Amino acid sequence: MTKPLALIIEDDPQLNTIMSITLQADFEIETYADGSSGLERLKHSNPKVVVLDLNLPGIPGREILQHIRADERLAKTRIIITTADERQAETLTDAADIVLLKPVSPAQLRELASRLKLI
Amino acid sequence: MNYQFTWNMLPLLMAVIISGTLSWFTWRYRRTPGVMPFAILMLILFQWGLSYIFELAGTDLASKLFWAKFMFVGVVSTPVAWLIFALEYTGRTAWITRSRFLLLSGLPLITISLILTNDAHHLFWTSASLAREGGFLFLNTGNGPWFWVHAAYTYSLIMIGLVMIVRALLRWPPQYRGQMVWILLATLTPLIANAITIFKILPILVDLTPFAFTVTGVGMGYALFRHRLLDIAPLARDVVIDGMKDGMIVLDGNRRIVDINPAAQNLLRISGYEQALGKSMADLLNARPDLIERYRDIDEANDEITLGQGAAQRWYELNLTTLRDENKSMIGQVITIRDITQRKQTEVLLQENEARFRQIVEDANDLIYRADLNGRIVYANPAVLRALGYEEQDVLGKHYLDIATPEMRHKTKRAYEHQFISRTPSTYHEFPALAADGREIWFGQNVQLIYEGDKIVGFQALARDITAIKQAQEALRIARDQALEASRVKSQLLSKVSHELRTPLGGILGYAELLRDHTFGELNAGQSKAAVEIIESVNYLTNMVNELLDEAQIQASTTILQETPFSTSALMQQSTSGMEILAHKKGIQLNTSLDPNLPPELVGDERRLRQIIINLIGNALKFTREGTVSVRFLRPTSEHWEIQVQDTGLGIPKEAQSYIFEPFRQVNSSVTRDNRGIGLGLSITKQLVELMGGRIALESEIGKGSTFTILLPMNKGTGEKP
Repeated sequence: MTKPLALIIEDDPQLNTIMSITLQADFEIETYADGSSGLERLKHSNPKVVVLDLNLPGIPGREILQHIRADERLAKTRIIITTADERQAETLTDAADIVLLKPVSPAQLRELASRLKLI
Repeated sequence: MNYQFTWNMLPLLMAVIISGTLSWFTWRYRRTPGVMPFAILMLILFQWGLSYIFELAGTDLASKLFWAKFMFVGVVSTPVAWLIFALEYTGRTAWITRSRFLLLSGLPLITISLILTNDAHHLFWTSASLAREGGFLFLNTGNGPWFWVHAAYTYSLIMIGLVMIVRALLRWPPQYRGQMVWILLATLTPLIANAITIFKILPILVDLTPFAFTVTGVGMGYALFRHRLLDIAPLARDVVIDGMKDGMIVLDGNRRIVDINPAAQNLLRISGYEQALGKSMADLLNARPDLIERYRDIDEANDEITLGQGAAQRWYELNLTTLRDENKSMIGQVITIRDITQRKQTEVLLQENEARFRQIVEDANDLIYRADLNGRIVYANPAVLRALGYEEQDVLGKHYLDIATPEMRHKTKRAYEHQFISRTPSTYHEFPALAADGREIWFGQNVQLIYEGDKIVGFQALARDITAIKQAQEALRIARDQALEASRVKSQLLSKVSHELRTPLGGILGYAELLRDHTFGELNAGQSKAAVEIIESVNYLTNMVNELLDEAQIQASTTILQETPFSTSALMQQSTSGMEILAHKKGIQLNTSLDPNLPPELVGDERRLRQIIINLIGNALKFTREGTVSVRFLRPTSEHWEIQVQDTGLGIPKEAQSYIFEPFRQVNSSVTRDNRGIGLGLSITKQLVELMGGRIALESEIGKGSTFTILLPMNKGTGEKP
């Protein structure tokens, strides 16, 4: 059985690596370091989970979030937002499935992502 | 029948003509009281005189007797007509009724019928014959008993009328006295002549009475023309002049008083006009020589004067007219005096009011001005002149827009044109005005339309110099912009700092956890312990970063509280569930209780409330070694609810209770490595509570524990029924 696809869109390479390692047991992982390439990939894929940083070079995370929510094809895609900005986090709780304030605990992320995989 | 007219009859003819003329002349004035009976009386005398001429001219007994009898129609009517004239002339018109007239006419009618039937009974004339005397043929009659009845009746009525007229004339003012003489002459002459004839006092046969009518006619005529007997009937004068509220004084050519009506008597404080008659005005007004001096040689005047002193002073309008005859020489003066005190008092009151309001306007610090329909300024109070540094003549006639600075004229014009067209009663508008020295003065002005009836005739403005306010507003606006900018910068900085700190923390935490979880291979005991230490340190650091950012946000006033409905029980559950594990680890009992009076749903910032509660429970657990920590939601009043966190911990010393809510302050003695913190938790909690409109209180005793109580306004939201 092939593993479901997870996109990690995060500009910080360390966090990118940490999250890839964290989720690789349960997901097929693709990582993107900027908004534009992430969005481009979303147009031709149907990931189960997207881990999305808000503060991204190129297209901001908020816009990618809106794009996913507006796309009928991506209705089953679950979104985990990671952000360093507390106040931005507050405003997104409705649109995203989960909002995590950085620093993100890998154990917590793995736990949440595996639960999202089931829905 | 033959008639023979001679020159001797000429005086008789004259009497006839005079009475006829008078009758005809006065008839047109018959509406004046007394004139109609007078005209009739004259007509009767005319008939009487004419009949007598024919009687005298008759050359035989039959014709003489015919005219004599015809003449008696006039003779018997005369006393009745006279009496009615006297009654009307003296103001007794009401006495004359139809039945009284018929009663008066009864005897004369009997007399006439007896005369006509005299041949049968000779009651009136006992005999009738012709007699010659001095070349004339006269009718010589013997007077019978009824003749004397008739004569007595006639004389009685004439005397009654005469007495009435004389008495009235004696009562009337002197200018009517002249009339009396002539009326007496006119009445008494025929009476005496008649007496001579009927009592045969002189040995003549000719009846003198009709001749005496010449005197009657002349007398009455003179009274009529010279003394205006009928023109201004004395009665009318009585009614009009004496009844007048205005005082009236008539002076003769020598400026002596000849008439003064009751109103004028009152005014000059004299009783009865007799007191004033013949006196000069100076005699009556000795207290006011100034007035006498003022009008000494004045022909016409229309002035306002005062009489009396102090509170009794009254105002009068004095009107003086000089009467002159056709030769322009003065025959008298008429003075009318009208009491205008009331009008004057009203005028004075109005003037005082006007002066009072004018004073208010003139003394006002507010700028008050008026403009006409063309926008030309017609009034500006001193405050306007002071504010703009203009002289009055510079401003009056100036267009109101010329006051405004050129760039504001168009906008100002549009505002007031709109007010004019829409008939807006009052507007407020601000514009910079140009002072004489070129300074800009801001006017904040209320403008009202001025109406005359339905028509707008201009506008009035009440303006304030708001230059200082405008400057302050401008300064405030700049300050506000700066503050907003500063706040925005701070906010950006916080966001940046927050990102820059949390991102590397993510790296440390991530790798440490991965290490701990053997992702990169098995670790020995020392390595595992090191990984756990790193994680604990990161968590502590994260916590500190969070608190610092919270504090900084609150300090920068960029904290925005959410106002959303939340469930009170859910708040309790979410705030305590995470802490239970911690409590359990330390062997501390965590109790929760919810007041049943608390509404199931409230409105507020749930996340912040949770933060506050967790912070307090965290503190309580930190400083409690054994016992319980109790979290309670209470409802002390209908308008408030309470969050209470109570522990059985170390307690906070009295001296520390005063500073414990200040940032970075901690109770040093109690801090251990286990419960360390940067000392911002309570400071943030207190500030958040205050942002929510509540307050936090602390009760604590060393060794017994502490109770933190947060009182918050009950915000049930709009959907909740009270």
